Parts: sequence; structure tokens; C-alpha cells
Amino acid sequence: MNQRWNHVVTLFVTPLMAACAIAMAANASAQGAGQFTVKVGAGNMSPKGDSGDMSAPALPGSKVALGSGTAPVLIVGYSLTDNISAELDLGLPYKLKLNGAGALAGSGQLGTVELLRPSASIQYRFMPLASMMRPFVGLGVTYARFQKETGSGTLTALLNTGGPATTFAIGAKAAATLQAGVAVNVDPRWFADLTVTKSTLRTQIQYSTGQTHRMRLDPLAVIVAVGYKF
Amino acid sequence: MRQSHFAFALIAAAVLSACGGNGSSGGDQAPKTRLSSQVAFGDSLSDVGSYAVGTVKTLGGGKFTINGDLTSVNPALTGKNWTELMAAQLGLAAPCAAETGLDGDAANGFAVPIVFHAGCTNYAQGGARVINPVGLRHKLTGSAFGALTVPISTQIQNHLNVSGGKFSGTELVLMMAGANDVLMQLAGLSAGATAAGTAAGTSAFGTTLVGLLAAGAGNPPTAAQAIGLALQTEAARPGHTDASVVAAAVGAAAVQPGNSAVAAPAVHDPMVASAQAAAATAGANAGAAYFAATGPTLVTTMASVATELTGLVKSQIVAKGANYVVVNNMPDIGATPFGRGFDAATLALLNAMVKTFNDTLGAGLASEPKVAYVDAFALSRDQAANPGLYGLSNVSATACDLSPAKNLLDSSLVCNASNLSAGDVSHYLYADTVHPTPFGHLWLARTVSKDLAQKGWL
Repeated sequence: MNQRWNHVVTLFVTPLMAACAIAMAANASAQGAGQFTVKVGAGNMSPKGDSGDMSAPALPGSKVALGSGTAPVLIVGYSLTDNISAELDLGLPYKLKLNGAGALAGSGQLGTVELLRPSASIQYRFMPLASMMRPFVGLGVTYARFQKETGSGTLTALLNTGGPATTFAIGAKAAATLQAGVAVNVDPRWFADLTVTKSTLRTQIQYSTGQTHRMRLDPLAVIVAVGYKF
Repeated sequence: MRQSHFAFALIAAAVLSACGGNGSSGGDQAPKTRLSSQVAFGDSLSDVGSYAVGTVKTLGGGKFTINGDLTSVNPALTGKNWTELMAAQLGLAAPCAAETGLDGDAANGFAVPIVFHAGCTNYAQGGARVINPVGLRHKLTGSAFGALTVPISTQIQNHLNVSGGKFSGTELVLMMAGANDVLMQLAGLSAGATAAGTAAGTSAFGTTLVGLLAAGAGNPPTAAQAIGLALQTEAARPGHTDASVVAAAVGAAAVQPGNSAVAAPAVHDPMVASAQAAAATAGANAGAAYFAATGPTLVTTMASVATELTGLVKSQIVAKGANYVVVNNMPDIGATPFGRGFDAATLALLNAMVKTFNDTLGAGLASEPKVAYVDAFALSRDQAANPGLYGLSNVSATACDLSPAKNLLDSSLVCNASNLSAGDVSHYLYADTVHPTPFGHLWLARTVSKDLAQKGWL
């Protein structure tokens, strides 16, 4: 239970408190539009390319690649002013496949992993508040955390044939995130938006058999959502 | 504020759905293709205990690697060869030797009745060749060990005999053979070259010595005839020595008219030295000539052996119903401690034999979808060149102490914790001069696994 709450704190409460603090500061100065938004939608995330070479002992040129994944998203926003808003993307886990690449190309799926990437950002929204289309750009921080790293018989066979099941872990990492998107206001309350985000995420895979991979994921995410303003 | 509460409720829902059971796990370990059993054919590299009887068993040996589960010493020292690792990976029963026994010297504990073990389908035997039944340490080679060396062709037949003449189609068939055809041929070449060299050297020694000893006589041709006869007579006498042959020749020379001076060592010793030099030159030349004339035939023979093995795989395994066949090609024998001991010419011949075998085997099996052709050669060659990438600490020395005092058979067959080389040998590549350590076998298994995964079988 303790551990679970620690995760909750790390993953959600901390960025949330930050967002609340921003919101309160905004309220105190009484300059913001003060509107909360909640949006739900789907995100598709594509990590970039192959990993680096697996460290020894490994067949030279052994690499892996994370596939893309789709997950529902839940995003809470708060308008600080008519043009500046804060957003907290609480994204549900993306389930990604770990595939062999490089010398291991064609060996298929080696495992799966879930990526949680809560992200807090500040956005600047163009056009007047009442415009139907409001493009926006944003800058934020994403905390990428991997969980449920699940191996396979193939992974064990490749790294420690006949041995105990090989497991792997991918290190959590904070990453800077750039956003660009456009919101379409359907009526004064409802809106839809499209957001494209790019994060600079470098992390490392560690196998239970001792090898590591450096991974430069730099994921590109495309999020389509429908929101409601309170 | 109510709105804020709603937002918090949503967040809490997201938090709860994301939490719980988030650690790493091994996942489903089952292979993509469900395989019912494993059948192995081959030689010492795949043998799981054909000779683990008699003295070999007493000495704690049986496999051609570092024997025994020494994982408490180092996790790499599993005592397992690649066939055992593959079976474990596939969730199959540990392989056992289909036939055990020894046909050697009873006094040494090397005469143990042959037993066929029902249900055991690892037919690989140390020393086995592809077709030729007389392999390494077979009784007919004069070895007191008496290895059975049942050839691959018979191993397959033995399996067909107990499996209704066919493969079930759901078993994984492992094949790795041919190296003993290289080793036996090289041994034959070496023996032939030595014999040719010795014969030529002996002949040159006699001819040269007789000529020199007779030169000072009144009638050299007559003297030479007498000296030559004495020399040959002594050389033909059982129990003769080099010295006694020289003494007979010198004695015969000294009694020739006008030739008594030759009896003095100061006179005939230089003549003997000249004859020895002539013998050495002639012997070396004859040995080299034999090597040059015979060497190329070894290469062509290896092509034939590979063709035979290809034929066996196709007609006796795949055509008889096997769907999943692993054929490892021949490792880089030239890079083993055994190969490293050769002079350049012999090493070049050895490399040519291995290359020809692999080229022929690879070409023969290239278009066979039911065969996974595994490049064990490339693996072992790269391991020798880049040991660090493979986590290997030594690729040239043997992990086993092979000195006669420590190792009765000069082989990893009787190597275990009691007779290892000094230091941490867990990540050496070679246990003895040709056989890998368990860590080396893990590498072979990992390479086979990669190919099977790429085939979609694993």
C-alpha cells in the first residue's frame, strides 16, 4: 500500500499540486479566465527508432525497438488568462511492444511494457477567446515512467537460453515536451482538439542478465480529445 | 469549488486505474511453436553422456565441457551443453544419451557393455563422424579408450528404427557434425607425412654415409657395396639403434683395403654428421612433398562429407517427416586452442577444409525451409576476434588443466571442478583444445535461439 501511494505521489499528486499552485496563484492575481477544462480522448505514441547496441555479453549489433501504442487520455486544464493555460495530461498507460532490431531483427516480439507519461504544460493560445479555431503551442515537462515490463520465452532464449526467465526494466525519466495543436470550439462549453507533442526522452533498458541498452525514444504523440469547459 | 472536486475525482480515477502490479516479470515462456521433443544427432559438441560410464563416470566426467553443476561457484558454470540448454528453453525433458558404453581397454575401466536407452533421443557421440564408423579414439585407431563413435548415418537410422521409420513432425531435430572428419583426416595426413619423411630420411642417411665412408677405400664401389650391406643388415636387425647402425657401417668401412683411417672418430664423426644433415633435409622435403600432394585431397574429401551430411538431412530427416531441423555448421576450428597450435601451412589447410565443408553444407541446405542453418563458424570466428563483446575472458587457453597428472584423457570429457586451470575460468571459451565451456555452449544456444526466433519457431 505504501509503495502504491508513493507511486501516486510521484506520478500524479506532485504535478497536480504544481498545477493547483499555478491555478491558485492565478486566482490570487485575479487575472485569469479561471476556467477549468476536462478533456478525454485517445493518444497515439510512437517512440523513435532503434536502441543502441546491447552491452556485453551480447551478439554484436543486438538492438531493440519499442513499437507505437494507443491509449485513452485524460487531460485537465486551467486557463490562467484568456491566452495562457496550464494543462495536466494524466494519460493512461500506453502498452508498447519491445521488438528485436539490429542483429536481432526479425526475432519478433521480445516483450511488452506500459509507459505512463503524465505531463504538465503551459500553453499559449492564439486568437481571441471566442474564436472557433484556436491554435496553440505549449512547453512542458513529461515524466515518463515504465511499468509492467513483461518478457517472453524469446527474450529468455536470446539472453540466457534455458535459464530462468529473463526480465527487463526501463528507467523512469523526466523529459522536456513541446506541444502544438488546435482547439475547435463547438459551442461555449464543448470543444475538440488535436495536440501533437514531442518529448526528448533518453532512458536505459536493464536486463536481469546484466546487459543494458541505451534508448533514445524521443516519442511523438498525437492526441485527439473532446473537452468540456466548467 | 465543486468543479475542482470533480477534477480531483477524475484524477483519482485515473490514478487508481493506473496502479497495481507494475513490476517486471518474465512473461509467457512458451515457444511460438509447441515442440513435443528434441532429437539430437552429432558428435562430442552435442553428446550428453554416451561415455559417462566406467572410469569416465568414476572420474566425474561424461560431457565434453566442464562437467557438473558449479553454478554456486559461478552462474556460468552450468555443466550443460547447447542441446541441454535448448531443451530447457523449450520446456522439454532434459536430453539423455540414446546409447552408452565403451569398447576399450578393460584394465583401464574402458570396457563397458553397450546399452540402448529407451526414450532417450540424444544420439550424439563424442568422436563420431558423418559416415565413417571409425572416429576419434575408436578402438580401431589403436585407442585404449574405445569410443563408440557411431556415425551420424547410423545415429539417424537408430532413431528411425525406434520411431516407426519416421519423425513425428513436432520434434526439434538438432544436427552438428563433421568436425571429427576434419580431425581424423588431419591426423592421417600428419602420420602419412611423418612416415614419408622418416623413410626418405633413413634412405638419405644410409646413402650419404655409405658414400662418404667408402670414398677413402682403394676401390670405392666395392667398399660401398660391403658397407651398404653391413648397414642394411644391422638396420634390419630387431633391436638396432642409430648408434649400432653407424657402428656396423663404420666397422665394415674400416676393414676395406686402404680405408682403416675411417675407424677413427675424428674421421668418421663428421661423415655421420653430414649424413644426418642430409637425412634431415631429405626427410623435411619428403614430408612437405607428401603434405603438398595429399593436403588438397583432404579439402575435396570434406566437400564430399558435407554433401553426405546434406543428403542425410534431406533424405533421412526432412523427407522422413521432420519439420523443425537445426543444422549448425562447423565452428572455426582454426581459432580453437587446437588450431592455434599449427604451423601456417597446416592452419591454412585446416581453414580450407572447414570452409569447404561449410560452403557445401550451406549451399546444400539453403533452399530447405524446414532447416535452420546456424552459422556457428561466424560465431566462433567473431568470438576469437572480439571476445569482450561476448563476455569472454579468454579464447585461447583451456579452462581444464589437461596435464597427464590432472587429466587422464587429455580431454574435457573428464574435466570438472577438481581439475580446472588456475583462476576464474568460468568465462573462458574453451574447456579443452576444441570443446567449449558451458559459457561457450550458452553462446551457441543463444545463437541457435536467435535463428529459431527469426524463423518464427521460438
